[in-house]
Amino acid sequence: MDVVWHNIPYLLIGAVTTLKISLIAVTFGIILGLFAGMGRLSSNKLVRFLATCYVDFFRGTPLLVQILIVYFGLPQLYGQGQTFLFIHFGVGHAVTTTQISDFLAAIIAFSLNSGAYVGEIFRAGIQSIEKGQREAALSLGMTPSQSMRYVILPQAFRRVVPPLGNEFIAMLKDTALLTVIGVEELLRKGEILNSNYFKPFQIFLSVAFIYLIMTLTFSRFVDYTERRLGVHDHN
Amino acid sequence: MTIIKVRGLHKSFGHLEVLRGIDLDVAEGEKLVIIGPSGSGKSTLLRCLNQLEEATAGSIEFDGTELTARKTDLPKVREHIGMVFQSFNLFPHKNATENITIALLKVKGMEKHEAERRALALLDKVGLSDKAGSYPQELSGGQQQRVAIARALAMQPRVMLFDEPTSALDPEMVGEVLEVMRGLTREGMTLIFVTHEMKFAQEVGDRVIFMDEGLIVEEDIPSQIFTNPTNARTRSFLSRVMK
Ligand SMILES: Nc1ncnc2c1ncn2[C@@H]1O[C@H](COP(=O)(O)OP(=O)(O)O)[C@@H](O)[C@H]1O
Ligand SMILES: [Mg+2]
Repeated sequence: MDVVWHNIPYLLIGAVTTLKISLIAVTFGIILGLFAGMGRLSSNKLVRFLATCYVDFFRGTPLLVQILIVYFGLPQLYGQGQTFLFIHFGVGHAVTTTQISDFLAAIIAFSLNSGAYVGEIFRAGIQSIEKGQREAALSLGMTPSQSMRYVILPQAFRRVVPPLGNEFIAMLKDTALLTVIGVEELLRKGEILNSNYFKPFQIFLSVAFIYLIMTLTFSRFVDYTERRLGVHDHN
Repeated sequence: MTIIKVRGLHKSFGHLEVLRGIDLDVAEGEKLVIIGPSGSGKSTLLRCLNQLEEATAGSIEFDGTELTARKTDLPKVREHIGMVFQSFNLFPHKNATENITIALLKVKGMEKHEAERRALALLDKVGLSDKAGSYPQELSGGQQQRVAIARALAMQPRVMLFDEPTSALDPEMVGEVLEVMRGLTREGMTLIFVTHEMKFAQEVGDRVIFMDEGLIVEEDIPSQIFTNPTNARTRSFLSRVMK
């Protein structure tokens, strides 16, 4: 167990990276998700179609594939004859030859992915508000966008706190996928330790516990927020 | 002077034709009562008047403005047409005062203190000055509906539409809401009520319309229609609800 105790700080550095990526990505995810969710409910057919394509793509394909597309695929689009990257990927040279930092790629991939899930959460949240709320707002002379902003969204936000919290926790766990592109998040740190000490059971179990502490902390926090916000909601 | 003029109004939901040609004139200051069996299209007619439902055919004029025209600024028109719903539809994330001030602030652009002053005056008028800070779920049904009436009145509309305002209430709360509405009838505002409160209808109505299957079947002054209905369907409806 000494191996583990001595290297806790090292693992925690990875945990901080995990948190950083999760928090930044969920922030962008919420912004993207707001657009995606409202887009899916738009009366404009084209907007609705584009929002649906976005949501379907990112929910309907493996996150790992999305990460690889962003990390290896995006730089290729910027020219530089990067096809050889894919050849080298197999033998692990890609990390040094890509044009996009692994951290940035992680943020982009996770933001886009979480935007799609959050979009569906918002859509469901908006649709769960009784239609009489919008009608009351309109009958007072509000425009449809005023009724969205002052009446529907504030209520929908309260209702989406629990599913948003779950989405965040799911994403936090999914960041472990980032080891494949070499981001030094929690799991990657564990792998590096293991390649030095060859104690996979102790090391990966510790990694798992650190994930568990983070996810449990957040789910308690979500429960608490939910109770706080629930005070003035009628169901 | 006519404030609302409806001609040949049709409304369908898919294949279901709910309004089948309504002609109606409402005079400024009139207290109009609409009665009829459930499903006859009363709510739909009311909701067409402020365009919460789009008409399928026909025309609706409010104070000379054609509401079915594409270019009509509906939010502007709706400022002048208050509506009270059967299910109150108060905003649950806002307290009583905020329910009343929100449209004053966001639609009319009124100063906050002025809006609050108006809200308090209206809460006083509906007998709820002590509930200014209460949230809807802390209020009884009757209190919620009175706040909803105050909220609609705050915009100082020229017409108020009431869609069965007491139908969702426990019997002991009906009276307090009717009392508030009775007060309004003394103020010269145009009021249109859909209601099953026949005594109230008789008492405050200038005119009563009986609807059935999407049509206005009979209309008359209350003393006539309630004591001496000419149409057989009106008679059978009234005999069912007045017993
Ligand atoms: N949004 C809607 N979609 C489909 N059918 C509707 C809708 N609103 C009302 N209806 C139907 O229209 C008919 C008349 O409804 P309504 O105007 O509410 O009648 P009333 O208020 O007289 O009881 C009913 O058969 C009702 O089911
Ligand atoms: Mg009705």
